[in-house]
Amino acid sequence: MSRTGDIRSGLHAPEGERGQYRGPKPRKDWAADWVPNNEGTVRSLPIYVGGASLLAVLFNRAVSGIAPVADASSSQSRADLLTLGLAVTNILTGLVWLSIRPKSISVVKPEGVECRRIQSGLPELVVSELLWVWESLSTVTCCRSLVIIYDSICIMQIGVAAKSSAEDGGAVAVNPVKLMQGTLYQGIKKSKAQNYLANLSLYPGRSELPFLPANTQAVILQPLGDNGIAVIGGDTIRGFTTSDQTWIAYIGEKLDVTLAKHAGEISVLTQESVQRSNS
Amino acid sequence: MDDSQSNGQQPGQLNLSVLRFTLGIPGFDESYLPRYIGYGFGSLLLLNHFVGSDLSAITPAQLRTEALGLSLAAFSAVLPYLGKFLPIKAACSFSRFHLCCGYLLHLSDMTLQRIFQGTATVNQASLPAGNEQLFIMSEGMPEALREQLAWSTYVLLRNTNTIAALVSVGGELCVRGYWSTPDDISRADLVDWFNKQIQNIGLPDLKDALYFPVNSGNEFQTLLPKGTRSLLILPLLRVSNSSTGKLKLSKGLVLLASSMTYAYSDKDRAWIEAIANQFRG
Repeated sequence: MSRTGDIRSGLHAPEGERGQYRGPKPRKDWAADWVPNNEGTVRSLPIYVGGASLLAVLFNRAVSGIAPVADASSSQSRADLLTLGLAVTNILTGLVWLSIRPKSISVVKPEGVECRRIQSGLPELVVSELLWVWESLSTVTCCRSLVIIYDSICIMQIGVAAKSSAEDGGAVAVNPVKLMQGTLYQGIKKSKAQNYLANLSLYPGRSELPFLPANTQAVILQPLGDNGIAVIGGDTIRGFTTSDQTWIAYIGEKLDVTLAKHAGEISVLTQESVQRSNS
Repeated sequence: MDDSQSNGQQPGQLNLSVLRFTLGIPGFDESYLPRYIGYGFGSLLLLNHFVGSDLSAITPAQLRTEALGLSLAAFSAVLPYLGKFLPIKAACSFSRFHLCCGYLLHLSDMTLQRIFQGTATVNQASLPAGNEQLFIMSEGMPEALREQLAWSTYVLLRNTNTIAALVSVGGELCVRGYWSTPDDISRADLVDWFNKQIQNIGLPDLKDALYFPVNSGNEFQTLLPKGTRSLLILPLLRVSNSSTGKLKLSKGLVLLASSMTYAYSDKDRAWIEAIANQFRG
């Protein structure tokens, strides 16, 4: 963020040499910085303030020698009642804030090996877009594994993947044909919509994704048009927010358009891989 | 799917969800209730002091209570402002229906909107009057860049609280959304007009991101649509190796304007940064 030296908006940056930004700088908002960092304190603050005020009112009454009678006959009583009302409002607000505190869910480090497999022979543009998708997802969301399958071949497998039991200890390879015959892919092909498995351990369909680390917590299955699927594995239960889901849907559409445009080159690769598996 | 954990309650934790409520008044945000109560009771305290009591015979005890009451009223008025920055339970995989059934009484629309932070679309950010819908691009752009800019501006307008988006990459401009431009400029000259406005403020020389959550200041008034409250500007820098060392030179910028205050949460800004990364390369 910009320099925080200017604490009032509307101050111009010095008009020094040519090529200097001459607009205003944002005002430093202490509340926006302080509150999220001291969440616990802030949530219980109204309760303490309200509770202390409640006791103070009663103490005040006791010390001044007025009987603690809750009637509105004298101006003192009215003032006390109003203050008590405010104290109670504060206590209730504090309780509401405490009740809507999000449950903190811990991150589970995925067990597996780092892998970065991109189908060779793809055009430069497609590769750079695929890498952009991976960079975005891994930076912004809790995504730790990404597999993209299009036209029955695995275009990209990147991030953390399950370790194979073979001697070389590399990542488990993706079997695109088997995945596309499975229930998970068939389900999203029929619904043409994203499928979000927020807590992967609850789903029996888990066995169709053997290439993901065994302790992957959440998975998003994004269809890429009619021919592809993106499998996005995350390290936190319910770690993908609704915002993330919408962004992923849009990115999926974009990826589909790009891959469809280069479908000719991809189908050549499909034929090559079919020939290799037949021979 | 996850209904058993829907309330997010740890075992042994008090279930306070009964305290959440809505009065069912459309457009009334219940989280502002402490502020209204603070104003109301504070005024009543003052009324009580000047009208309801014998001014010559006010006891110190009453003055103490009133001082305490007025401080509490001021504190209550500030509470909604602080509460805005507290993260609320992220109900990511729940539909509104599940959310409604999970609690004893349903939450008001505004509270639901804040729970789904960052997914409020243009429909929920109100469109201020005096702006026109616009979609212009520089001439002579390579096709690939054209498509990228069109998609990026589309997605930024749909997915964030943005009403107006401007992306400039290497001198090529794409402007989309609701803008207010001078009437005497023809559509063909609009691109030049926008470029000139950007140059006047010195935006191409910006080095760091700027986020104005509340008020963007007077300098931006000609450029931005009417009713802009939040403003986010991300420079697209490219690093060039010169003989003296690495230089950061500006390649362009992403400028987003919204009619809401605090329109861009941290998550929104992270996604916008990711979109901007397409052009940094």
